[in-house]
Amino acid sequence: MSPAGRVIHDADILLVQAILARDRKATARYVELHSDLVHGYVWRRLAPKTDSVDDIVQEIFLASWRSLKTYSGEAPLDAWILGIARFKVADYYRKILNSPLAAMELEEDSPMMAYGLDLDGGIDGLRDAERAAGILEDLAYEYALVLRWRYWEDQSARTMAVTSGRSEKAVERLLARAREKFRIRWMQGEEARQ
Amino acid sequence: MIKMKVLIQEAEFSHQPVGASSRLKSRILSQLIELEQAEGPLRELSASRTNGETLCVFERMVAAVPSKTLQSRNPCAVCHGRVLGERVEKAPIYWSGCPYAGFCGH
Repeated sequence: MSPAGRVIHDADILLVQAILARDRKATARYVELHSDLVHGYVWRRLAPKTDSVDDIVQEIFLASWRSLKTYSGEAPLDAWILGIARFKVADYYRKILNSPLAAMELEEDSPMMAYGLDLDGGIDGLRDAERAAGILEDLAYEYALVLRWRYWEDQSARTMAVTSGRSEKAVERLLARAREKFRIRWMQGEEARQ
Repeated sequence: MIKMKVLIQEAEFSHQPVGASSRLKSRILSQLIELEQAEGPLRELSASRTNGETLCVFERMVAAVPSKTLQSRNPCAVCHGRVLGERVEKAPIYWSGCPYAGFCGH
């Protein structure tokens, strides 16, 4: 604990200091300690198109190494590197959303549901979570991507718009269509179960 | 009534996390060491050992040499362990203290 009452992560600071001193062995520990976490984080956000995961994880480690001088120890090192991972994943999302959105453009005039859609029934823990994850993997990739960006990263439509270079209205429309697709898939699953 | 938001949020942790492959870890380490070398000489191996790091058999030999220049080089650059680690998943490397063997779980 620092004099100001803030928690300082001493072990992480020592590791970073050793890496900054260009200690190869400490660098290896850094990779060993954090690569699984970073890989899992990126993999979840890109699935089912995981071809780019390894490249992004590499980029994250290179970027984190370049920024290590700014690490203050006020957050654990794993949380700090996940912060960098968040930016890299957002950059990937931006590229996907800036590419031609064939699946979405075709449905530009399809009816949209209002925001805040509710689903009937209670949540059934892990089983529902697995179903939801399955639906996200089956949806058109761009739909799954905006839903994850919105709800996993807790990003507003405005922030997503600024990052992706699309208008806020366009992002809201995309989100509405994605939510509707998700809802339809969910309800189809409910009917199949009954 | 449950919110769609909750369902989607719950989905994040429904899969077992997928860890990085040993090849990926190896490639990342090699790249980081290259960056470090571009910045200046690496920390001497004897200093790494003093700092509590475990050295492999080859590194111990280098660390015994009283030459700062030699100790600040990267012995992995000429080691088959690195080459195997970067190219073969769970490569058969069993040198104790070798980071590439460590990535393979050995």
